[in-house]
Amino acid sequence: MSLWVDKHRPRTLDDLHYHAGLSARLRALAASGDFPHMLFYGPSGAGKKTRIACTLRELFGKGAEKLKIDQRVFMTPSKRKLDVNIVQSNFHIEITPSEVGNYDRVVIQELLKDIAQTQQVDLSAKQRFKVVIINEADSLTRDAQAALRRTMEKYMSNMRIILCANSTSRLIAPIKSRCLLVRVAAPDENEMVEVLRSVGKKEGFDVPDKIAHDITEDANGNLRKALLVLEALKMQSTDLDKPLAIAKPDWETYCHKVADMIVQEQSPQRVMDVRAKLYELLSHCIPPTVVLKTIADHVVDQVDESLKVEIMHWAAVYEVRMRVGNKKIFHLEAWVVKVMSLYKHFFYDIDMSSFD
Amino acid sequence: MAKVDTFGQPGSLLLPTNLDSNPNVSASETVADSFVSTGLLTTEGMGLEDVQPSIREKDTTEQVIEVDRPGVLGSELPEVTDLLRPFARTDTITSAIASPSTSTDSYSIYATNFDGQPVELKRKLKKTSTASSLHGASSTMGQNSGQRFGKLLETPIHRLLDQLSTEEAIRLSRADAEAAAAAQQNSSAPATRAKGKEMDALWVDRYRPKRFTDLLGDDRVHREVMAWVKEWDYCVFGRRQGGSRGVKRQRGEDGENTDEWKRPKEKILLLSGPPGLGKTTLAHIAARHAGYQVFEINASDARSAQVVDDRLRPALESGSAVGSSKPVLAVIDEIDGATGGSDHSAGFIKKLLSLTYDRPRKKGRKADPKASRPLLRPIICICNDLYAASLRDLRSYARIVRFSRPNDVHLVRRIREICEIEGLRAESRALTALVGLAQGDLRGCLNMLQLIKAKGHEVTEPVIRIAAAGMKQGDMTWTTVLNDLFAPMARKRTKDLGLTEEEETKYVRRLSREVESTGAMDRVAEGCFEYYANFHRHDANFSRYLKANEWLSSYDMLSGEMWTEREFALAEYLPFMLVGFYPLFQERGRPKLERPKATWDHHVATTANQEIYASLARCLRSAASRHHGDYRHLTSDQVLRLEVAPYLNRIISPPLNPVNRQIIRPNEKAILARLVDIMVALELRFLHDKNEDGQLVYRLDPPIDVFVTYDGKRASDIALSKYAVRHLVATEIDEKLSATQTEPVEKGKLKRSTFFNRRVANTDTTADADDDRTSLPVAKRVKGDPAQANPAEKVAVDFFGRPIVPKASGTAKGAPGSKIAVERPLTKYRVAYRFNEGNSAAVRKPIKVSAFL
Repeated sequence: MSLWVDKHRPRTLDDLHYHAGLSARLRALAASGDFPHMLFYGPSGAGKKTRIACTLRELFGKGAEKLKIDQRVFMTPSKRKLDVNIVQSNFHIEITPSEVGNYDRVVIQELLKDIAQTQQVDLSAKQRFKVVIINEADSLTRDAQAALRRTMEKYMSNMRIILCANSTSRLIAPIKSRCLLVRVAAPDENEMVEVLRSVGKKEGFDVPDKIAHDITEDANGNLRKALLVLEALKMQSTDLDKPLAIAKPDWETYCHKVADMIVQEQSPQRVMDVRAKLYELLSHCIPPTVVLKTIADHVVDQVDESLKVEIMHWAAVYEVRMRVGNKKIFHLEAWVVKVMSLYKHFFYDIDMSSFD
Repeated sequence: MAKVDTFGQPGSLLLPTNLDSNPNVSASETVADSFVSTGLLTTEGMGLEDVQPSIREKDTTEQVIEVDRPGVLGSELPEVTDLLRPFARTDTITSAIASPSTSTDSYSIYATNFDGQPVELKRKLKKTSTASSLHGASSTMGQNSGQRFGKLLETPIHRLLDQLSTEEAIRLSRADAEAAAAAQQNSSAPATRAKGKEMDALWVDRYRPKRFTDLLGDDRVHREVMAWVKEWDYCVFGRRQGGSRGVKRQRGEDGENTDEWKRPKEKILLLSGPPGLGKTTLAHIAARHAGYQVFEINASDARSAQVVDDRLRPALESGSAVGSSKPVLAVIDEIDGATGGSDHSAGFIKKLLSLTYDRPRKKGRKADPKASRPLLRPIICICNDLYAASLRDLRSYARIVRFSRPNDVHLVRRIREICEIEGLRAESRALTALVGLAQGDLRGCLNMLQLIKAKGHEVTEPVIRIAAAGMKQGDMTWTTVLNDLFAPMARKRTKDLGLTEEEETKYVRRLSREVESTGAMDRVAEGCFEYYANFHRHDANFSRYLKANEWLSSYDMLSGEMWTEREFALAEYLPFMLVGFYPLFQERGRPKLERPKATWDHHVATTANQEIYASLARCLRSAASRHHGDYRHLTSDQVLRLEVAPYLNRIISPPLNPVNRQIIRPNEKAILARLVDIMVALELRFLHDKNEDGQLVYRLDPPIDVFVTYDGKRASDIALSKYAVRHLVATEIDEKLSATQTEPVEKGKLKRSTFFNRRVANTDTTADADDDRTSLPVAKRVKGDPAQANPAEKVAVDFFGRPIVPKASGTAKGAPGSKIAVERPLTKYRVAYRFNEGNSAAVRKPIKVSAFL
């Protein structure tokens, strides 16, 4: 038994609900016999992986759905052992190199060479090549990306690579130029409502307009999130017609609390309180960039127009710093203090002018 | 008898004691006094012993000589030394400096308490014949009392003449020597020549205390160590020690060490303290005094775990060193440099502890030669940093003795005495400065003095300052550095360093050096981060805070860049980022900053949560492998943490009513079934457990509910699942699980026989949910059936567990005789446990129930 996200995941290109043009193009590519390396990119929850799976199905037929998941051990030159989870069928292999952090180059090199140097043995296979899917390609290190470059050209006859990333900005140009770039945009509101409805129908209930609308709005183009919310709601209360509050993830609620604290009071004591909350968030492994972004968004909602630009500007600055540095909490707090100081200055100035 | 009197104590010849006694008292007085100076004592007199008469005679003659020239003495002190040389050489008395222990009776004892106050302990006067023999010679002293004239002739005149002539000869030779010495080295130290070979030795070694009473520092510490060593007496020497004080309080209630070998409770003594205070010396002296042979392992030896096995264990177990009858006491010096924090499984410390505390496993049995024997000899460990990571385990087992810096007065006095012996002219201001600079490190002081002497300077303050430029800064742990960053230098320290007002304000160089020297800049940065917001709270517009954060974030960026780009040359610039905190937050008189712990706490919490995420991801993955890769897209980090974890928690906690499952409502039943399905698929379980209050609870495992718990509070929109509900769910899950476990077996066994198919069909009609093939009632039936439902339909199974249905039934129909054959295994099967059936090497024999009770 699976969650609805998976249970009602489209399996073929025909089943896909939206981006019909893209589906047609993918079908054509799969049929052409000249399948290129591909790079799927787009926001989280837009359906990249679903489309990749559908494309594979189109390429290889049902056999591509017979998956087996196992772990492989790689050795770094320094004799460190790395465990990598691998999903594979007879026709393709799926890896997430970012699991091993800085050692992803080793994994990429060894795995690709392995695959590239063996030919497809199954004579009944529709295609001569195997496909390698690399998830979270945008978190590949530079070294790993460089390791991809030559392999992509050299072993073209045996292997195709499909990269899946949120944005192309952190991929090096040589990789991008070797791939066919496919952007999978987030579905718009109507498309999402439609998907929610169809899921509801398959599960044997109707999704009321209000709920469907609320969920879509909250999910902000993330269909996976929308479906998870729908299932959570359905589990929490069988009757969806009642007015329901859309469940927000807890870290988000917590971030909003922090934002409120920043706006309410600006004092050294508050800095310490906020710090404790930030620690709590970080210790729940919420990525610091997400924390910063969520808090900033919520702070901006509550402050004066003239401050918004400044606050966002500094959020961006500190996010960059955070990516360079190691101690995320330093930068988060630096931003908090900055915002507090800006806010205080703002009010201070207002007060003074009113005295004039 | 040595270097006689001192500049520092000019009054010693004129002390009240010699006024009312005969003149030779003054002589022995001098000796006693010189004792104080050479022997480096704090308490005097314990080591004084009677000298054999023959020696004493020589001894006294020397005294005569000393006493003979007190008028001249004053500035010409070294002459006496020269004078004495021939005696020291020719006679049994060894070199004066080397053995200050030779002595005569002393009439009063000089001691110094820990605050540096001198105390005089008078002793009853004892007259000796030898003493009176000196009177003739000592008449020059001009102290007249009626007594001594009567004994005028007790010293033969020839001896006196002898002495005079020797004296004359020595004076002549000294004149030559002085000329030579002047040519040699500025004549600054005429005494040098006298020491000949000893010049090679470091002063540190030369003036190392030789006896317990020579030790400098806190007597209580010394006694504590000694007491601990003495506690071993019963174990090591097999004798009950006398009423030695300070031991009793360490013992068990019955006044004995409770151990079966009568060992002290803590088998290891851990001495800690800054360098140069004499920890090693104390350990050695205490061991020797208590009658042990010291077996030392120090930093020059390899200190891997192997050393314990190869060297330490044999040494301790053999009990005494080769070629000596004394038992062994192990001194492990500089143990904080040893390997083996908790992460090294084979660490030195771990091995040491196991050596100490592992008990031999079975005592009554025959001794296994390899089994560890109990530790029967004391071990003393010495470290500088008590809180070094590698000592964490040891700390809890060892008795810890801390050394602290002795009062400067003592140090200065001891150093002055040494200076005098070495013939080094020293101002006392300079010496005070020296001690202050060294922060109580006596070894450092002595080395520096030797250096100064080698250069031929006098000891003055400027010289000290110059020499101290390269001297090691005291030990700079990162906490002290942190404190320095947030507080200006202590006034006393400023004085010690002799800084002017202006120099003191120049902090950048000083602090950046300090920060750099810790080698733990990251920790310092974390400390700064943790504490800055506690200070200057009146900062209205956050200007200081902004600056502080700017420093911190530049620090972090720089160090991040440094590590990723491997540009370690940048490390040079890192300290300056932290120095910026000093002008922003320094303040006098603030309580000392403790070691910051928020970062560590955070780290611990994070790793725990990461572990839970990892196990959730594992669950998802294994679910994916069973469900055709369904869950696999949810395992990526970002998605898992931001979306799956919060919503999964909501999905698995529907608001169910805790009722008996027979009377559960249909719509709730559907929810329950689905919940169970999901939980089984994801391998989430409710485990029965007790919480801290002893209440029975069902705990989610893996505990993914921590992800909806912030600040210890669960998210408000998730219904708190009650014990009864969880119990219900847990039993359902168990049933489901056993069903799924048996299912593949049954399937394999029956090969889709009518038996299985019909059952499913049956349940389909009965169950509400029409497509829920595996829903609860089915599970129940499938599980329950084979055992009890309809034995008539029971399938016979052959030896390998394969169904022999068609064949068997065929044969049963064909030949009635074989029916019994079919029946028999059937009945047998009803009795035996099929689960885990198989070969067993166990021997069966009847046994009474009472044997198990």
